[in-house]
Amino acid sequence: MMIQVKFFAYFRELFEGRDRELGLGDGSNVGDALARLCDTAARRREIFAGEELKPHLVVMVNGVPAQSLRGLATPLADGDTLAVFPMMGGG
Amino acid sequence: MSDYPISGYHGRVLVADLSRGEVRTEPLDPDTALAYLGGRGLATRLLYDAIDPACDPLGPDNAFVIAASPLIGSNAPTAGRGHMVFKSPLTGVIGTSNSGGTWGAAFKSSGYDAVVVKGAAASPVMIDIAPDRAEILPAGPLWGKTTHETTDALAGASEPGRPARVLCIGPAGENLVRFAAVANDRNRVYGRCGPGAVWGSKKLKAIRVRGKERIAVADEEKYRSGLDQALYLMKQAPVTKRLMRDLGTAGLVELINLIAMLPHKNFQDCSHRDEDVERVSGETLAKTLLEKAGSCYLCPIGCQRHTRVAGRQGGEERGEGPEYETMVLMGPLCGIYDMAAITRANYRANELGLDTMSYGGTLACAMELAERGLIGREEAPGLDLVFGGADALEALVGMTARREGLGADLAEGAFRLAAGRGRPECAMTVKKLEIPAYDPRASYTQALGYMTSPSGACHLRGGYAVSLAFFGGAREIPRFSLLQSPIAIRNMQNTGILQDSLGVCRFTGYAFSADPWARMVSGVTGRDLSVAKLEEVENRVAALERLFNVEAGATAEDDALPDRFAEVPIIVEGKERRVTREDQERMKQDYYRVRGWDAAGRPTADLVRSLGIAGRRA
Repeated sequence: MMIQVKFFAYFRELFEGRDRELGLGDGSNVGDALARLCDTAARRREIFAGEELKPHLVVMVNGVPAQSLRGLATPLADGDTLAVFPMMGGG
Repeated sequence: MSDYPISGYHGRVLVADLSRGEVRTEPLDPDTALAYLGGRGLATRLLYDAIDPACDPLGPDNAFVIAASPLIGSNAPTAGRGHMVFKSPLTGVIGTSNSGGTWGAAFKSSGYDAVVVKGAAASPVMIDIAPDRAEILPAGPLWGKTTHETTDALAGASEPGRPARVLCIGPAGENLVRFAAVANDRNRVYGRCGPGAVWGSKKLKAIRVRGKERIAVADEEKYRSGLDQALYLMKQAPVTKRLMRDLGTAGLVELINLIAMLPHKNFQDCSHRDEDVERVSGETLAKTLLEKAGSCYLCPIGCQRHTRVAGRQGGEERGEGPEYETMVLMGPLCGIYDMAAITRANYRANELGLDTMSYGGTLACAMELAERGLIGREEAPGLDLVFGGADALEALVGMTARREGLGADLAEGAFRLAAGRGRPECAMTVKKLEIPAYDPRASYTQALGYMTSPSGACHLRGGYAVSLAFFGGAREIPRFSLLQSPIAIRNMQNTGILQDSLGVCRFTGYAFSADPWARMVSGVTGRDLSVAKLEEVENRVAALERLFNVEAGATAEDDALPDRFAEVPIIVEGKERRVTREDQERMKQDYYRVRGWDAAGRPTADLVRSLGIAGRRA
């Protein structure tokens, strides 16, 4: 399957780009996609705390927060959009 | 430092009567100080006592109150904000507005806890406040000047160690534009609900403050324990540590679009092209227009945007902004994605002294009315008054501030504009205040916040539900929960009341909540102001605001969204979402119960008694 990954805020510097296409095997989930993207220690450090997602992250699948789906176990399908943000706030 | 029995207060309220041209100092009752704290709480109490809520908001019987807090004068993070309360000429209910910068700290150093201004002068005046004297001075030569010209002219009174800080109105306030703002430190504003028009109706051009009065901290150890924890947590949380400084609040644009909450074309839908949203994102702002970040007094967060943009006719302009609300309400809400145009229009709004949010909401309403043939082309000659019309966006700021041509209609705000054309349903307002840049169909909690905010549709007074539904943590609730929304929004509103009454910034809430504040304010005052005691203050202030509004003529029917949000769905996560009348009513009634108000939305006599809210004092 092919998914679209979008990065925001300082994740654009960290992952060197605004968005990219990612090819994944069938049956892949959010955790698999993020593990593929975090191919350096610096990237892993920003995204993962051990096996879990770091708390101040926003990870969305097609506009839905992963944590209201199945977290890292959320399954992905061909054509999905995965968005990765540091937590934002505003007014 | 004063001998006042409670540390952190000077114990003095300045009262200016502009009709008589007199100022006097009144003592601050210590019980009132502890019951209402400062900032929004104290200003609401003082306003409630000073006026009849049924008065004409542009008449001499209206007043405004600005209050500092016991934390201001300490080194608590962000403790320098002021809060202004008045009857609003836009909404007819309580106007309650907050602003950062440095004026609040300078005001506290001038030796007062609050200032009450009533009456109206016959010709333009300013109020000059220093510890040794406070006086009303003629301000004729300043009348007509922009906020920047006025501030620069008056800042000359600065002395070493005693910088003079200025609040002032621009032409918009002088011309009684209903959403005119009061400028603060040049580019900060008391933006919403039209305080600028109240000042204009009183012929008050400016208030200048300076001083060196300090406060004592009664219990250093307790204060420090709260301070240390607050500073530590602010360094941990990504929002306060880095994100705000990198992107400003405009960093929200992409996220809000992703969760289908970004308003479009007067709230017709939330559908944007990704490439358009990018043009008004915080990332693009940082790359193209940002010169540097900046901070308010004692703030480590740094969300201010100091920017420069190409002028319309060449050259370069500098100023501050845009921040999130301005970017969206003067941008995609009007179908505009031209960041340079939005930024220039933002600079104009700051100089002329009007609220960018109400301006954007009113303009979007005008664009819809024009597209429906209810505003003729001849009313805005040479301007393309359609969604996407960036020229109209820029040109109409000045015309609105001066009440010229169509600007005279816009100056009345979206509700009166639309009602005047026979289409009140085209105004996206609650209690006549234009809705902020989060579509309420994408979050029932936010919808309830807009409905029940004391000042009209507001995410700062009504509760900011956006962070709740999307991020991990104890306060997360699902976006579409009718059941949980009432308690959640009541809690968010109360947190806001606390922050506004302590003179501190909303953004500290991304790092910590009430406990460090309880320790800091208990430490400064030497009194037991626990989290529970602070909750009493919060509920007391919320009830008093509601009592004011009831006396001003507001009813439960006013706690409602415009028809569009009940009838026209948007698509969120693949489903159609709208906030039906039944769902609004159900959430509202649950909210009243949670607040301890009756089914008509009035605080009960029992509640008023148990909160110790005294009747109006002469």
